[in-house]
Order: sequence, then structure tokens, then C-alpha cells
Amino acid sequence: MKQLFPLKQVMGFVFSLVLTLVALLVYFLDMSFSAAMTVLLITAFVQAGVQLVVFMHAGETKEKGAIYSTVYYGVFIALITVFGTLLTMVWDM
Amino acid sequence: MKNGQSLPLEYRTEQNQMNILGFWIFLGAEIMLFATLFASYFTLFDRTGSGPAGADIFEIVPVLIETILLLTSSFTIGLGIHAMRLGNKKAMIGFFVTTLILGLAFLGVEIYEFVHYYNVGATLQTSAFTAILLTTLGTHGAHVTFGLFWGLSIVLQVKKRGLTPETANKSFIFSLYWHFLDVVWIFIFSFIYLKGMM
Repeated sequence: MKQLFPLKQVMGFVFSLVLTLVALLVYFLDMSFSAAMTVLLITAFVQAGVQLVVFMHAGETKEKGAIYSTVYYGVFIALITVFGTLLTMVWDM
Repeated sequence: MKNGQSLPLEYRTEQNQMNILGFWIFLGAEIMLFATLFASYFTLFDRTGSGPAGADIFEIVPVLIETILLLTSSFTIGLGIHAMRLGNKKAMIGFFVTTLILGLAFLGVEIYEFVHYYNVGATLQTSAFTAILLTTLGTHGAHVTFGLFWGLSIVLQVKKRGLTPETANKSFIFSLYWHFLDVVWIFIFSFIYLKGMM
């Protein structure tokens, strides 16, 4: 039974619950907008990293380089799309 | 993990390795798809017209339940893949079925949430804000719905054919998809709900 629950994955799960609780502070505490956004950005991206490395086994084979390249490329385009849109449409720069 | 024999079952053939890499490339495209939805959401966030704003309609309890359900399901499918690598078919199917039940519960809460939005007058046609909100949530929900059918077929196949390089490969790829949905939800939870309720 014990070998069905590897420590690495259990710790990953506990860590992701902790990150969710930290993100929830934004709701329960009275924070400034920029402080809250900082907390959310950090918890969300760390959480995504935990999933990627602990649960999705992104780095375990010789395809590691290609897998990380495609993920980084996707994230890069995603960030440009989101922040480019914010710059032109929301922040009016 | 260098020589072929010590690789997990799902990586045993060249074709299998290509399938997994190909699925990662698909996930890269999915990241960009959701990025465009988030970009539109941030743009239309305050275009509420005469309809409600996010803070008026979001409820923390269902959102929290959805988050815990999806996080736990991501954990259980990870355990399912671990059991699969131990060659324990029974435990693997158990974990996969648990995952699907949690996914189904998630979908149930999300449907409840959508009915709530409808009842408080936030429909797809109400305002630019409600349109993009429901489109973003709906795209994620549609992915989960598709995943439930996909996962069910995989469980049935593993039950029938046992753990072969082929079924192990399909199961592993499905687990990637499911973890990815959890990652997308984390961003929805943080930047749609928590940001909207601040």
C-alpha cells in the first residue's frame, strides 16, 4: 500500500494545497492590488511548475530538451499575447 | 532511464516516444489558446454594460470546492501513472476511476455555478464581460467534459487489454492532458476568481 503513494507526489500535492491557501490570502486579507497580483502570479506559476515537474514527468527522458522547448515557447507566446494585449488595450500605453 | 529496457512501458517503442512528444507540442498550442482567452478576458473585464460585475456574481465556496476537486484529481491520476509503472493494474484503474469521479464532481459544481450565473442574470448575451467569462470557463469545462469520456475509454481499454506498451502510452498521454487542465484551472482560479473578488 505504501509504495502506491510515493513521497515525491504526496509532497507535491501537499505543496500545491499550501500554494492554494497562500493564494486565498488575497481574498481574506486586505491587500493592495499590486501586492495581491504579486502573490497570485508567484503562487500560480510555482503551482504550474510543480505540476509540470512532479506530476507530468517533463524531464525524465531524452526528449527532455524538446519537451521543455515546446513548453517554454508556448509560455513565451502566451505571455506576449497577454501582456501585449494588456499594454495596448488596458493600460493604454 | 538511458537504455530502452529500463524505460517505463509507455516509452518502450519509438512510436510511443513520438506520441508523447507530439502531445506535449499539442499542449504548447493549448497554452496559447488559453492565453488568447485570458487576454480577451482582461480586456473585457470592466465592460459590464448594464449587467453584473465579477464581484457581484462570483461565490467563493463553489470555486474553492472546484479547486480542491481538480487539484486532488490531478494528484490521483499521478498516483495512477505511478501504479501503472509498478505494473499494478488494479490500483491503476482504481486511481483512474477516482480521478474521473472527482472530474465529474468538478463538472457538477461548475454546472451549478453556470445555473447560478443564469439565475442572477449573467448570460452569454448580457455583456462583453459575461460573454468572455462564460467562454473562458466554458472552454475549460468543455475540455474537462471531453477528458471524462476520453478517460473512461482508456479505463475500459486497460481493463480489457491489460497493460501493454500501447495502453500504457495512451494512459500516460491522458494523464498529461488531465494535469494540464489542472494547470489551466489554477490560472482561472487566481486571475478570474480571486482577482475578481478582491
